[in-house]
Amino acid sequence: MAKVITVRGLGKEYRRYHSNRPITLQEAVVRAGVRRMASVEKFWAVRGVSFEAHQGQMIGMIGRNGAGKSTLLRLIGGVGSPDEGSVNVTGRIGALLDLGIGFHPDLTGRENVFVAGVIAGLTRREVAQRLEAIVDFAELEEAIDSPLRTYSSGMTLRLAFSVAVHTDPDVLLIDEVLAVGDVSFQQKCLQKIANFKSQGGTVLLVSHDIELVRRLCNEVLWLDAGKVVAQGSPEVVVGQYVAEMAQETIRRTPRSAHVLHTPAGLELRVNENRFGSQEIEIVAVRLLDDRRLPVETLDSGEALRVEIDYLAREAVPTPHFGVTITRDDGLVCYDSTGRGGVGLASKWGQIALVIERLDLNEGRYFVDVGVYSHDWAWAYDYHWHAYPLLIQADGTGKGVLYTRHHWETEGAAYVLDAEARAEMASRPEHS
Amino acid sequence: MAVLVRTRYLVYRRDLLMELVLRDIKIRYKRSVLGLLWSFLNPLSQLLVLGFVFGVVLPLNIANYPLFLFSGVLAWNWLSSSLVSAATSVTDNRQLIRQPGFPASMLPAVAVATNLVHFLLALPVLLIFGILGTGGFTVAIAALPVVIGLQFLFTLGIAYLVAAFHVTFRDTQYLLGLVLMLGFYLTPIFYDSAAVPAQYYGIYRLNPMLYLVNAYRAILIRGELPDGFDLLVLTLLSSVLLWVGHSVFVRRASKRFVEEL
Repeated sequence: MAKVITVRGLGKEYRRYHSNRPITLQEAVVRAGVRRMASVEKFWAVRGVSFEAHQGQMIGMIGRNGAGKSTLLRLIGGVGSPDEGSVNVTGRIGALLDLGIGFHPDLTGRENVFVAGVIAGLTRREVAQRLEAIVDFAELEEAIDSPLRTYSSGMTLRLAFSVAVHTDPDVLLIDEVLAVGDVSFQQKCLQKIANFKSQGGTVLLVSHDIELVRRLCNEVLWLDAGKVVAQGSPEVVVGQYVAEMAQETIRRTPRSAHVLHTPAGLELRVNENRFGSQEIEIVAVRLLDDRRLPVETLDSGEALRVEIDYLAREAVPTPHFGVTITRDDGLVCYDSTGRGGVGLASKWGQIALVIERLDLNEGRYFVDVGVYSHDWAWAYDYHWHAYPLLIQADGTGKGVLYTRHHWETEGAAYVLDAEARAEMASRPEHS
Repeated sequence: MAVLVRTRYLVYRRDLLMELVLRDIKIRYKRSVLGLLWSFLNPLSQLLVLGFVFGVVLPLNIANYPLFLFSGVLAWNWLSSSLVSAATSVTDNRQLIRQPGFPASMLPAVAVATNLVHFLLALPVLLIFGILGTGGFTVAIAALPVVIGLQFLFTLGIAYLVAAFHVTFRDTQYLLGLVLMLGFYLTPIFYDSAAVPAQYYGIYRLNPMLYLVNAYRAILIRGELPDGFDLLVLTLLSSVLLWVGHSVFVRRASKRFVEEL
């Protein structure tokens, strides 16, 4: 397979400007002076990225918002010039970056197809040849000669997407646009992209849908703050990413048909308070006291029993369970995983963590429960902030711990009365 | 193969220009009652007012004044509206600039070409004025496309500079408005450049639009070929301007537009 894209040590530096950098000539001359025109600081939006892509390959790029994925995609597309390294692309580049570029509400669907098609890189004749296919794909035969302003947003998106996938490029850059439209249309788009790939097209895909990335891509780059954190086979990189990002919002379609409710009635929703690949599912979690009665409130120093019901859908190598207790401000107060978890006994069953004394200070806590892969690389299932626990203690301090304690003194113990206290307070501290 | 790619690229550029110009014109006229009439209405109303002021109130006694005025007004309007829309052509089309493969240098060209279309739509009216005023045209009319082409190059050169500058300084359009307003008076649109006193003429003649307007008038009013030397100088000037404007634009476009938008 021929090499299509070569990226070598690519870097792009962006400038952050003075917040009151003059944006008009008048300001530049009158107020600020040319001094402020200079950038305050520079930062690398992308740096040190290298990879190759061959015909028929699909490269995925994952990472948080602002990690530099879109900048990288645009650099490869020739938008902006790199400050370091090089990009080499053979063949025509098509892009699904912003949908509906050039669309105007007053023009008809047909007129908009021509404008958008030409902007996307086709000649007029090429658009005309594809017109039927574009309209057909978008399922808009009836409405194609009506002004775009009469379209629903879904129809507009379908038309925009249809134009974009019919541009027949050699390299297709896709940025997060597959999430458009209804599910059946999405499937159609994915099918179209799969066809494109099988016909020797090369695809670069930026997506938050890591399941999609894992399924479709041949190689994955994980970017963070402009740098490549990991690069390689989708299983490995996506796995690492999922583990790392377990607490980030990861958009992915719920695969579990079950809707779980916590004992408190809270619904567990995928990617809000539930994460993981679901090979093993945590089906129920109960917080119990030493008499094995369900609790939502405990006195500090009492025992806590965390019972977990699980179901292994697929045979996986020795998974681990882990429990953390987090204060409502996010401070992790206890983490069972630090001392190794416990393995799985059977395909389904119950496992319980017994904490003999929970010596936490009073406050609101969450018991987070997870089951992880054998190397702790990612979570199969992880319930985050789903099980609240209120701890009560008499007499509060600032600390995290509220352990059993007493004071011991030697010599005479003074009890100061109000007068003596006032006298002490008035004394200079450092004499 | 290389030739094929090259040809396709040229066809693509042509089609892109055409579609974008067509789009601009369609949008302008789509939901308006008067439609294409707007292309004439603007210069015609100027013609009426200026004709009243300098033909009746303060008569300048220029032969064939309506034709004289209309040729000046049309040429000037093409320049000024092209530059005004070119100024914001990049900043208003952020998405296009960020589209891989989109030639940013197309945008100022679209602005100039769109206004060329308006110019061409009003041209028949000018020609009718010409026939009514002079009784017909000479072969010099064949030089008209050359002059139009020259004005296109000249305008495009400035359009590139204005567009590139406006990305960094967003008040370029106001500055431009001022310059265009002054330019209107410093170009012989409603008066004859022959009336400019000799001691000022040395500076006055530095305005390139002077030669363009005079060239139109030579062809349409006097039925003569325009001054060859003037046209040669204008050609050289426009070429240099276009080259400088285009290089400035392209250099800035590749480096900075994406960041500054």
